[in-house]
Amino acid sequence: MTHQTHPYHMVNPSPWPLTGAFSALLMTSGLAMWFHFNSTILLSLGMLTNLLTMYQWWRDIVREGTFQGHHTFTVQKGLRYGMILFIISEIFFFAGFFWAFYHSSLAPTPELGGCWPPTGIIPLNPLEVPLLNTAVLLASGVTITWAHHSLMEGDRMSMLQSLLITIMLGIYFTLLQASEYLETPFTISDGVYGSTFFMATGFHGLHVIIGSTFLTICFFRQLNFHFTSSHHFGFEAAAWYWHFVDVVWLFLYVSIYWWGS
Amino acid sequence: CINYTPGLKPVVSTKTPPIIFATPTKLTFDSVYDYAGKNKVPELQKFFQKSDGVPVHLKRGLPDQMLYWTTMALTVGGTIYCLIGLYMASQPKNK
Repeated sequence: MTHQTHPYHMVNPSPWPLTGAFSALLMTSGLAMWFHFNSTILLSLGMLTNLLTMYQWWRDIVREGTFQGHHTFTVQKGLRYGMILFIISEIFFFAGFFWAFYHSSLAPTPELGGCWPPTGIIPLNPLEVPLLNTAVLLASGVTITWAHHSLMEGDRMSMLQSLLITIMLGIYFTLLQASEYLETPFTISDGVYGSTFFMATGFHGLHVIIGSTFLTICFFRQLNFHFTSSHHFGFEAAAWYWHFVDVVWLFLYVSIYWWGS
Repeated sequence: CINYTPGLKPVVSTKTPPIIFATPTKLTFDSVYDYAGKNKVPELQKFFQKSDGVPVHLKRGLPDQMLYWTTMALTVGGTIYCLIGLYMASQPKNK
C-alpha cells in the first residue's frame, strides 16, 4: 500500500479548468454576438457553463479539504498565498479605474467647463445615502471579526448569528446602492464623470455581491459543521475578501463621492 | 400468613419511578439547531475516503456524473456553436 511521504496535495485529474476556459471563450464571444448581432444565446450559454464550472470546482475543493483531509498545513499556506495574490490582482484592477478618475478630475478639460464636477453634473450628496453605505460596510467589518473570534472560540451560535448579520449588511448595502443608481440625475453616458462613476462603483457593487455570496457559502458550511476552531481557511479567505471590498468602498467614498463632489 | 412466594421475584420494580420531567434526556443549548442536521462530516469523511479509484469530481456517483456530462455537453456544444458563429461573422457581407 503506497502512501505519500510529502505534505503536498497531488490533485485528481479534473475537467473544470478546461470547462472554465471554454466558458470564458463562450462569454467573451457571447458579448461580441450580443453587441453586434443582438443575440444573447452564446452569452447565456457562457454564463451558465461558467456557473457550473465554479460550483463543481469549489465543491471538489471542499471535498478534498474537509472530507479527504488533503489540506495539510503546507497546502493551507499555499492557499493563503494564492488568495493574497488574487486580492492583490484585484487591487490593481481597481487601481485602473481610480487612475482614470483622477486623470480626468485633477485636470478637467475645457469641454467639461474646466471644473469638477463638470458643468451640468449634479453629484450625489456624500452625507446622505453614501455615508449610510459607509457605515453599513464598516459595521459589517466589525461583525465579520466577531464571527471569526466566535469561530476560533468554538462558539457556534454566535458565529452563525454574526455571520448572518454580516451577510444581511452586505445585502442592505447592495439594495441601497441599487436605489441610488435609480436616483442619480446622471447616467453612464454623461461624459467622463458618468463613465468613471459607474465603472468604479459598478465593479465595486459586483464585488460586494461576490463577497456576500462567498460569505453565504461559509454560512452553510458552518451550519454543516465543516469548520473547526483551528482550521477554517475558507472562512478566512471570505473575510479577507470582505475587508478588501470594504477598503475599496472607503477609497471610492473619499475620492469620488466626497472629494469629487 | 407471610407474603412469600418462593421462587418468584417481582419483575416490576416496586419503587416509585421518578416523574417524567425530572430527568430530561438531553441538556444542551444546541437542541434548537438539531433539526438542521447532525454533524454529518465524519460519515462524509469515511465516504469520500473510500479507495475505489474514482476521482473526487465523480465520487458521489450518479448525481456527479449527470452534472459532469451536462457541463461538458453545454461547454463543447457551445464551443462548436461559437466557432461556427465566429466563422460566419467573419464572412464579408453579401451585398
